[in-house]
Amino acid sequence: MEFTLLGNALIGAAALWGSIRYLDRDGRLTAAAPRPWDVALGASMLGLVVGRLWAMIGAGTNPLTHLFDVLLIRGGVDTVGASLAFGAALAWGYRDRLAVATDAIAAPALFGLAGWHGGCLVRGACAGTPTTLPWGVEGTGGVFRHPIEVYAALLLVGGGLLIARAWRTGSLPGRLGSLAVVVAAGSRALTEPLRLHLGSGLLGFYLVGTLAGIVMFAIAGRKGHRPRPQQPAEQA
Amino acid sequence: MKLHLAALAALSIIIAACAPDASGTASAVGDLPRATPDEIIALVAADPRPAVVNVWASWCGPCRSEAPLLRQAHAEYGDRVLFIGVDIQDTQESAQAFIEEFGLDFDHYFDPHREVPAAWGGLGVPLTYFLATDGEILTLHNGILDERTLVEGIDSLLAGS
Repeated sequence: MEFTLLGNALIGAAALWGSIRYLDRDGRLTAAAPRPWDVALGASMLGLVVGRLWAMIGAGTNPLTHLFDVLLIRGGVDTVGASLAFGAALAWGYRDRLAVATDAIAAPALFGLAGWHGGCLVRGACAGTPTTLPWGVEGTGGVFRHPIEVYAALLLVGGGLLIARAWRTGSLPGRLGSLAVVVAAGSRALTEPLRLHLGSGLLGFYLVGTLAGIVMFAIAGRKGHRPRPQQPAEQA
Repeated sequence: MKLHLAALAALSIIIAACAPDASGTASAVGDLPRATPDEIIALVAADPRPAVVNVWASWCGPCRSEAPLLRQAHAEYGDRVLFIGVDIQDTQESAQAFIEEFGLDFDHYFDPHREVPAAWGGLGVPLTYFLATDGEILTLHNGILDERTLVEGIDSLLAGS
């Protein structure tokens, strides 16, 4: 792994760890989502590996015959594979308390993701499409460009702050986790047109992710409003 | 739990084993011609397009990882940007197998004595040079390319041409 990219990962991990520590200062977070650091970091690592394997297979490289290539993270990590693996691992880790636990870990996950994006400042890799706006960053060839990763990080931090506040005050189970999916996918969907990429990009995937989050949010709300069935003893 | 992990590992191996891998097949690519650094500059200057010159080797792991990006970039920008590959410290057979494996459908030159990086600068391999239409080297990227870096380099070339 390239060292500057490792710096990016460390900033993301530090943001995740710091926000977990802050939100868990009264022990509420670990009560709702035990071992949040282990589960979130484990899910991130699994996402990274699956995304890398996905990218290699997609590019026609057999990971079994080129095991060393798996380590070349900068050679490409497929976002679709990584996101799905991260979500699946998180859901598996909290399968017995999915709604409550994902609500608790939603804000730290967004802050961690924001740290990963904001880490572009360390490695000088924030640039998107050209701009004449005063906050444009100078890229290759002296062209000023949108600091696109900073935009994404700011959107994620804003969403994370709102979710953290809502979590402290209470919400219907599953809603904040769903909202985090909307924020994570939506922030990428909003910034995707300003990104530099080959081909058509991933706007469709992020729009589907945003829609999926909205649907989950609506379902969580309906479930939350549903009256709890009475037990036979209570009916008697 | 162990059963689930074993099933997951088995599935991963099956999926991975299904991935295409062209290494070991007979090469349809001919011998790569030799070219000096000056000759490559002259080639770029004679072409109306700016150029991306990628220095690679078949034994280089990062080169394998960035090769699909170069193929994709060539398919997308090949009409506006000239792509040139320079294979260093390699054998003709390995180079041809590499080009065929990754479908690198642009011109490549053979540089067994590493003359291009020696003349143009750069550390190790891979190296990517972004050249203006007159052959001037505008930017050098040391090491493996990622998608954003490659597209930014190309975008800047097109903005300046």
